Amino acid sequence: MAKTRKEKIEFPKLPVIKDLAPKKRGLVTTKLQVFETLDPMGPEMHWMKEFVNEEDPWKDFRLIEKIQIDQHITYRHSLGKYSKFFIELENKRFFATKCPKCGQVWPIPRPVCPNDLSICKWVELPGTGTLVSHSISRFIPVFMRDRVDIPYVLAMVRMDGAPKTLFTHMLKNYGKEEDIYDGMRVKVAYSDKPVPHPLLLMWFEPA
Amino acid sequence: MSERKVYVLGGGISKMAAERPDGTIRDWVVEAVMEAVKDAGVEMDNIEHATTSYFSDHFDKQLKQGAIFHDSVGMCPKPNVRVEGGGATGGLAIRNAYAYIKAGLCESMIVYGAENMGRHVPSDTAQEFIAYASDFDWEFQIAGFYIAYYALMMRAHMDMYGTKEEQFAKVSVKNHRNAIYNEYAHQPMEITVDDVMSSPLITSPYKRLDCSLLSDGASCLIFATAEWAERYCSTWKKKPAIELVASGCGTDFMRLADRPWPYPGIAHFRAKRVASQMAYKMAGIKDPAKELDCAEIHDAYSGTELVSYEDLGFCGLGQSGPLTDEGFFDLGGELPCNTSGGLIGMGHPVGATGINQGIEILRQLREEAHPKRQVVIKNGLGLTDSHGGTGTFVAVNIFRRVD
Repeated sequence: MAKTRKEKIEFPKLPVIKDLAPKKRGLVTTKLQVFETLDPMGPEMHWMKEFVNEEDPWKDFRLIEKIQIDQHITYRHSLGKYSKFFIELENKRFFATKCPKCGQVWPIPRPVCPNDLSICKWVELPGTGTLVSHSISRFIPVFMRDRVDIPYVLAMVRMDGAPKTLFTHMLKNYGKEEDIYDGMRVKVAYSDKPVPHPLLLMWFEPA
Repeated sequence: MSERKVYVLGGGISKMAAERPDGTIRDWVVEAVMEAVKDAGVEMDNIEHATTSYFSDHFDKQLKQGAIFHDSVGMCPKPNVRVEGGGATGGLAIRNAYAYIKAGLCESMIVYGAENMGRHVPSDTAQEFIAYASDFDWEFQIAGFYIAYYALMMRAHMDMYGTKEEQFAKVSVKNHRNAIYNEYAHQPMEITVDDVMSSPLITSPYKRLDCSLLSDGASCLIFATAEWAERYCSTWKKKPAIELVASGCGTDFMRLADRPWPYPGIAHFRAKRVASQMAYKMAGIKDPAKELDCAEIHDAYSGTELVSYEDLGFCGLGQSGPLTDEGFFDLGGELPCNTSGGLIGMGHPVGATGINQGIEILRQLREEAHPKRQVVIKNGLGLTDSHGGTGTFVAVNIFRRVD
């Protein structure tokens, strides 16, 4: 049970202003509210002598109108030189990139190795690894709700065959929360269901 | 680097709040500028250059916002540049002022920062907009919001050093309490460790009261050389002179997963170590915990402040928890941090945040802060630490009182 917050200083509270009914919106179909703001909403200008003990300097600008704006944007998004990783997930295979010069394997693939700017090669990894750290979320933003369950577990995994850096994804089918521990063995699992982004074709499960 | 010295002449803030329906983002910037100009005792006509600091083009559905801020305060046709680096944007904007004045591109610069993050979009949408600052194809799709990453980082820190949830809950208590003495703060509160621990769990180990705030607000700082101040600044030599003595900057891999081990791994901010070491060298600081009088830390989450103490070299790795228990970073402690209330207590309108930090250091070093939050000025040195992402961009700026 959360305790009641004890607020020592009361700042002016915003009045609760109801949105206008469509019939009362006049000539503006998106008009939500017309109201006067409280004073002072901005800082007390204590050092500005001319404002002290005088009338509200903003009195001509206290009437506020709010309207609604809706924007819907559709992108045609290229996955670029990373595409093979995503295409292979549909084949239930996990690919990484390897630098031919320094030998580092990047589990989150990179077409060019940032260590030495050499062009990498694709290599297949077994898709197994070790959990390094994780977090368990009780809250998720609305836009995530088509893709994750609550609670959801975000996992960082050291993939077998790519020891230097990590791979980030969700952990699912873990049984009880208490059974998750850093150091546990995990494996990549693949989706048979359609997904909105190809990264969601995979997740981690206990190995 | 040139011998030129850069001074902070004044600062202004337009109140941080969950929602500022009284104005638009440009109105808040104008208010902050009006206050900064009064505080500094300068005329806009004489200021030569501006830097614009805001983070997101999504929040205000307005590109090229700098042009609007600039013309709203009568700066046209003088030069203006925008700086952006996620949460570090404001800190980088201060660095930009330092660089431009040092380089001789101008003698004076006004820096304005703001963000419109309040309740004009639902909190969910705000979280989504912020999450666009993680890697879209590789992080955003699966994590969706930043708390999940920071929680993961903090768990790694807890595993490595035995840091406890109660220890970082104390940061939230401290920062909300410090905000009580800051009239511009968004969420001043007297709370206890129990209140933090029992607030709704969002992502283990972080509870709601461990998190920084989505705030509306703006802030502004004015910088110039001594020569310019002598000519155009009526408060010069009347108020204590505060010099911007150092500016460090560091970076790290965008994705937490790609960072090298063992340091920083996923528990530490390597960019913070790089930026602070750079700044300490410029300022001639050997032992920051002893020499600094106060510091403003980027407390995006309460645990982040602890880790930052370590990577900024205020203490050894893993020591931040025990030192917090001792009250080392409290008002009256050895090195008071986030006397303004920080991002947790004062608020976090991203583009204004780093500038808010600079203003707090200005107030502290001039000994103008509310008596209840004023620190004792011994060496006259204060530091700001701003970071973006999970520590991908970091700016560390150091100010010194020179009278």
